[in-house]
Amino acid sequence: MGAWEFYITTLVVYFAIDVLSAFSLNLQFGFGGIINLSFIVFQAIGAYVAAAVTLGPDTGQNAFQTYIWGASLPFPLPLVLATVAGAALSLVVGLFGLRRMRKDYQAAVLLIVSLIAWEVAKSDVHLFNGSNGVTGIGRPLGTTLPLSSLGYQWVYVVWTLAICIAVYALVRWLSSSPWGRALRAMRDQEDATISLGINVTALRLQVFVIGGAIAGLSGGLLVEYIGAWSPGAWGYAETFVVFTAMFVGGIRNYKGVILGTLLVPIIFLELPRFLPPIGYPGLIDSVEWIVIGLMWMGSLYWRPQGLLPEKRNMVFPGEFGSVTGGGSKAGFSLASLLRKGQG
Amino acid sequence: MFTTLISAIAFGVVLASVIAIASMGFTIQFGLTNMLNLSYGGVMTASAFVAYLLVSHGVSAWYGLIVGGLAGSLMTLVLGRFVLRPYARRGAKLFEMMMVTLGLALVLDYGLQALSHDNIYQFTVLQSSPIHLGPIVITPTQVILAGLGLVVFVGLELLLRLTRIGKALRATAAEPTLARSCGIRTGRVVIVTWLLSGFLCGLAGVVYIINSQSVGYSTGELFLPLVIAAALLGGAGSPKGAVVSALLMGIVTQVVAAFGQPAYSTVAGFAVLVIVLLARPGVVAGSQGAEAQVTL
Amino acid sequence: MVGILLACAIHRGVVLRSIRYKSIAAAGALSIMAAACGSSATSGSSGSSGASSGSPLVVAGVIAITGSSSFEGSNQSGGIYPAIYSINHAGGVLGHQLVYKGVDTRGDPADALPAVQQMLATTKNLVLVAGPGTASAPTIVPVLNAAKIPMTAVAGESSYDFNTLPYFWRLFPPDSANGTGMALWAHQKGYTRVATIFGTDSGSQGDLPGVLASVKALHMDLVSQINVTPDQPSYLSSVQQLMASHPQVIMTESDGTTAGTFFGELKQLGGLQPIIGTEATFTAPWLTAVKGALGSSFEQYYTGMITEPSKTTAAVSTFQTALKATKTQVSPPWQSYLSNPFSLTYYDGIITVALAMVAANSTSPSVFDSYISKVANPGAGKTVVYTYAQGVAALKAGKQIQYFGATGTIDFNKYHNSDGNQEAVGSTSSLNPVPLGVVTAKAIEAVPVVGVA
Repeated sequence: MGAWEFYITTLVVYFAIDVLSAFSLNLQFGFGGIINLSFIVFQAIGAYVAAAVTLGPDTGQNAFQTYIWGASLPFPLPLVLATVAGAALSLVVGLFGLRRMRKDYQAAVLLIVSLIAWEVAKSDVHLFNGSNGVTGIGRPLGTTLPLSSLGYQWVYVVWTLAICIAVYALVRWLSSSPWGRALRAMRDQEDATISLGINVTALRLQVFVIGGAIAGLSGGLLVEYIGAWSPGAWGYAETFVVFTAMFVGGIRNYKGVILGTLLVPIIFLELPRFLPPIGYPGLIDSVEWIVIGLMWMGSLYWRPQGLLPEKRNMVFPGEFGSVTGGGSKAGFSLASLLRKGQG
Repeated sequence: MFTTLISAIAFGVVLASVIAIASMGFTIQFGLTNMLNLSYGGVMTASAFVAYLLVSHGVSAWYGLIVGGLAGSLMTLVLGRFVLRPYARRGAKLFEMMMVTLGLALVLDYGLQALSHDNIYQFTVLQSSPIHLGPIVITPTQVILAGLGLVVFVGLELLLRLTRIGKALRATAAEPTLARSCGIRTGRVVIVTWLLSGFLCGLAGVVYIINSQSVGYSTGELFLPLVIAAALLGGAGSPKGAVVSALLMGIVTQVVAAFGQPAYSTVAGFAVLVIVLLARPGVVAGSQGAEAQVTL
Repeated sequence: MVGILLACAIHRGVVLRSIRYKSIAAAGALSIMAAACGSSATSGSSGSSGASSGSPLVVAGVIAITGSSSFEGSNQSGGIYPAIYSINHAGGVLGHQLVYKGVDTRGDPADALPAVQQMLATTKNLVLVAGPGTASAPTIVPVLNAAKIPMTAVAGESSYDFNTLPYFWRLFPPDSANGTGMALWAHQKGYTRVATIFGTDSGSQGDLPGVLASVKALHMDLVSQINVTPDQPSYLSSVQQLMASHPQVIMTESDGTTAGTFFGELKQLGGLQPIIGTEATFTAPWLTAVKGALGSSFEQYYTGMITEPSKTTAAVSTFQTALKATKTQVSPPWQSYLSNPFSLTYYDGIITVALAMVAANSTSPSVFDSYISKVANPGAGKTVVYTYAQGVAALKAGKQIQYFGATGTIDFNKYHNSDGNQEAVGSTSSLNPVPLGVVTAKAIEAVPVVGVA
């Protein structure tokens, strides 16, 4: 059963990393209303940074590749730096990408950011070895832990799941905090939120940077697991897979997001591997993407809220009137909620 | 040095004409519907394949241009009427519409990938010997493509300014509700917009493959970001803006390719858009507070 | 991580005039199901135990079948199917038939890992992995080695020049050898001004350092070094830049689409110079695209530098016969693999491993792995065989054998690398090589290339 164990454990690690990605996007899109089509860039920078600070300098046994920031930092510093890199790059992108503009324009700008970053990383071999990417990244504590390779798989599974749970707790806490409520208010009624004196630009930037940090962390975890990273792994369409998972599962509902991640990038994309070859090589792959597109469109048409919709356990600006009309004691809360969000 | 610059500018103009035709189609559709239609690239590719099939059966590439355009019209109309409109009827917001068109783009592109076996098809038509214009060396085909861009632009401007339907189109794009109350049949205007923008989209697909000499399933999608960038930069609904931005982007990309590393040329094209955004946020800010409505 | 990108898929394919569906290997599919799916209940690891008698043995092609490097999968299909055909036709391996299983890496290291682990988990009697290629090798090679599955890699990375993994075998010179061969050929022709045009894709960039270092080592003048982004509508400015630097020779590698556009424009602007392409240019998509763009000038200007193919031996004719017999199974057009260096290499790899199994009288990789070099390397008193059937007959007669392959002599060094001579070739209209001259492995080693590890 060894080979099966390797396969299953790999899927669990990928699942945990995809869930982290989906948490990041859910925070940014579901709660902050930012359509971050450059998500994968922040995962990529995390992966590159974690790789570079693990590999050591690009001389000697690494002379076949060139990259910046080469260092041999001990675990868990590469992951920490990956998180910081994701946050820092989000701050830079956010400072110009999140200016107040139409949402669809903003999405287009972020998409273009993704394209630019990809082209630059691919073309400039001095950054992270261009299109060949960086390889040979050792697993964290891989040589110090007295484990078989299968034992290590399980340790990594536990490690990624633990991080996943910690991040889950963090995002849950964030989205139910006053800050999270201000975020939702901004998403649903931006002008009303501004009129309450909330600095929406700062708020948007904050959620963007936190999401970017989680993305960077997920990239670091991924690259330490697979040992290589190149532009082939982070084309901009990768972002859409996470979005699909979120749409299918249920935007804004963390359990829905987890369910969607299980359904789309894991089950749906792994199942075809078990099919016998149909048609010419590559046909299954095309059909897979056609189905993703149809799933996407279908979920937007029939279930825009996803399989598990957002729990409306708060008062939303749009419901303000009806709630007060119904005499709920929560009715007064909009302004105070937002003021708390400020504090 | 000077020669290189002049040549790069000339090449930029050729590239700009390809961008401009696609971008004009995109911008009038965008101006009217308010919707960033990301499936536009897929329709471009599909039209290019239609032209490819015709030409490979011995039809002249010039007819290929027209048939490709008509194919684009038809596809755009069908998709607009039977796929996109139902979403708008359900009250989808602008960015939701964009998401829908993205899903549609996936379906179109990978449908084309399945049909084309993921192969690249050579499209070497209209080859001819170069012309020397002073320091510039250029081929007759390139001159013709640049001319075609100009013809399309002038034709479109005349259509929008002088004909009834053109005026109705501009009015609907500016104020759909007001236009309707003035007796303009906006439904008909939308159909005309689908047909017109679809024609330009299909035409652009064929022009693109005449220039690049090959067609594959991702041809249009790879080109789309430049097209959208030019349309956004030029302002929604403005063919003139689209042409000017296309020229700017075409020339910038070619000059960067000539003087720097060509690998950075597309990056430079996009950077133009980002810089404009930074310097003049008003260009794309549009009607932000009260979000614009989808007109379909 | 799904590596197929909506738009970033820079893919190269072959020219097909008709769009028609081709059902690939329906019979093969059934037997794979028997071999692969049927095994899921039992131990998946095929690494340690031999196959029970009569059950099919699986040869997996771990390669980019879709995505930006899908041409790798096409080249591989042109080698695997003929090899399996000729082995099965000669009675199979120790009473087993071989079957093919395609495993798609999509050219993405992140995609390759679960794909390979799924393969290892579900494939019984896996005896050989053909591949992996450049992009996924760093992730996949250690996994396969740990699973004790022999692999015949085509990854040209110099990092494998001093490989110590027992299950890794490379029948292919490193990328840098190819680059040195190109530079030596240009030097021999008396060219001093060199320009390079390379795509920014991973395959092309992998081959660039070897070219640059060799040009420098031979004291030639690098007048321009241009990297082009694939799939642009036009490269006119880069073409102009190239022409302005007045090179005497252009060294190049990119995907076919890009090359077709670039050299088409170069010709239209009247700037053609002799072109020396890397081994990767001697493949159907590139040749067809550039031939289409250059027309009649093509043969005059193009030289490809490839691993020296074996001259009209029984090995080559057996391969070609087997290719014709499997022409409905390989990715079209089948003719493009007749002398495709990658297809020939895959073919030789599978024949060699099959002979190793016969020589070891075992289908267990841990047993036959060490026989791989024994049946291929030259040696005193060995019987030279050119086909699988000849090899089996000689082994049954109790002889030691040297398999002389379709790519010529195979001679593994202690790092499991087999480097051969390079040969400059032109191309006929049917994509066959026209020999122009050999650059020997010795001459290549003698060039003091620095900077490529």
